[in-house]
Amino acid sequence: MRIRTAIVITVFIAAAIAANFLPRSAAQQRDRFSHASAAHKKLDCSSCHKVPTSNWLPARGFPDVAQFPGHVACASCHRQDFFVGNKPAFCAGCHTNATPRSAPLFPFPVRSRSHEFAIVFPHSVHQDIIAGEQRRRGDVAVAHFVNASFRTLPDDEPKFNNCAICHATATALPKFAARPPVGQTPVGEAAGDNFAPTARFFKTMPSGHATCFECHYQGLEPVATNCAGCHRLTPPYFESGVVKRYSLKFDHSAVNDKGDLVHTRDCMTCHVRISGNGDLKTLKDADVPIMACMSCHNHAADLKTELDKRAEAPKAFQCNYCHTAAVGGFPVPPSHEKQ
Amino acid sequence: MLLLRLTILLFLLAVIPVDAQTGVLEVNGRIKVDGKQERLKRKRFYLFRGGLAANKALIDRMRAAEFVSRDCFYCRMNASPEFRAWLKAEDCESPFCREITAEDAAKVPEFKAALAKGQRQFAKKPTLATGWLTTNLAPELRDGFYLQRKKAIDGLLAGVKPLQTGMTDSVSIKAIFIDIPVAPPAGKTSETFLVSNLAPFEIGSKSYVWACEVEISADKRAVRSLPVPEPGKRADKCEVFVRDIPACDGQGCTVK
Repeated sequence: MRIRTAIVITVFIAAAIAANFLPRSAAQQRDRFSHASAAHKKLDCSSCHKVPTSNWLPARGFPDVAQFPGHVACASCHRQDFFVGNKPAFCAGCHTNATPRSAPLFPFPVRSRSHEFAIVFPHSVHQDIIAGEQRRRGDVAVAHFVNASFRTLPDDEPKFNNCAICHATATALPKFAARPPVGQTPVGEAAGDNFAPTARFFKTMPSGHATCFECHYQGLEPVATNCAGCHRLTPPYFESGVVKRYSLKFDHSAVNDKGDLVHTRDCMTCHVRISGNGDLKTLKDADVPIMACMSCHNHAADLKTELDKRAEAPKAFQCNYCHTAAVGGFPVPPSHEKQ
Repeated sequence: MLLLRLTILLFLLAVIPVDAQTGVLEVNGRIKVDGKQERLKRKRFYLFRGGLAANKALIDRMRAAEFVSRDCFYCRMNASPEFRAWLKAEDCESPFCREITAEDAAKVPEFKAALAKGQRQFAKKPTLATGWLTTNLAPELRDGFYLQRKKAIDGLLAGVKPLQTGMTDSVSIKAIFIDIPVAPPAGKTSETFLVSNLAPFEIGSKSYVWACEVEISADKRAVRSLPVPEPGKRADKCEVFVRDIPACDGQGCTVK
């Protein structure tokens, strides 16, 4: 009985001593900062983040948040976490190797970490305020209103509705993938496909503050200090950076036999859902419906021909005029049948 | 047993997607004013369920609404004639509509002042003063017109939520509305909707507001054109409000 009591007391004392060496707060139990913690959610962004940070010029070339908040931002709540052990886990949120002598920082932001914020960009509002038409050499709209034979302007590509402020023709091939319909299975087995788009098939998308701050740095809401104006806390996710397309074969910069650009209509002529959209995440389908394609591609070898072939041999024939094999073998959607 | 069957039926009704019928509407932005064709490029339209009668309260508010014209707004904000001319030259409503060139910055006093302010602020990176010029414009000139117009539209709507909104493009001059949920009343194949621009479009010396009925069905694309009735006449199935635009004449804003 005495031995048993001694063992219990010894284990209890050992546990008590060990507990003293355990991390003291949640901040010590992970090597990264979370914006989503209950305490952090109560704080205003500006209580930690300074806009711009002192290193903006060499880091970005424009006034930006280019650095982690300083120690002061953390110290008011986490003072004790700075002094736990030789290398406190708390410090690894920002420092690659935290020692009293040197503490190099991760590049900001840390690209390898999951994102905690989603961006809300209302295209509808921007269409209202920036929508413009750059006129050049007479009336562009007349020059671009073409049907059967395509003509283009001799100068550079049109930049209708100022969409090109944010979306330029890509010069480097982005990561891309087909976007098969969700919840469906292909009718037949996918055939091989060695289709390879080039960079000019795609348009760029702004990343970072550079484009937004051109207008929103100060004065025009949401301004640079109003982080919540664009950033919404969301469950952590990793940005794949993959551009997914139903019609991977669509080439924004396609040219005809004469070398003239063919897709020279206003961006909104095809992207019809954009001008009414307040948040891209709410778009369920492609922002370019098939009917937008059909206004030109209604001749032989296009949709009708493919639908006929598909009807003759549903399993053997895969639509390939617009789609790669990853999409072309799925059942024909009602939107296509209606055309 | 009956209860079980009823439960299963309710469950099936809840999980089986109803084949919702949808329609397409094309609003033609090409109009004829005094025999001349005008193109309503990049103009916003709103779609409402129901026709003129069903939206009577909204139409009444539209009839009574007084929007401030672009010229008058900037006139009241004491914008320089050069600034107003810069906007008018490309039918712009705000300085975000097109690029502000170095030539513009030298000619338009407001741009010149914003540039000078930016050059002081961004002394470390002078190119930002030109690239970010609008961030140093006076608020009322920057987004004042947009904000006052948005406020006026919100007042007009008075909580009514449009079914959809869309803009005309600058090439085909059409606003396309798709995926419009259509629920025709018994015995009909189409449903009545109302399409309106709510805020007046300025063409020449007049402003125009349309509220037009359109029948939308699931099997055929509906096309709605915008009539401009002769003075004293009414357009079919449309309320068209045509008003003279007051002009800024240095003394204030007056109707000529």
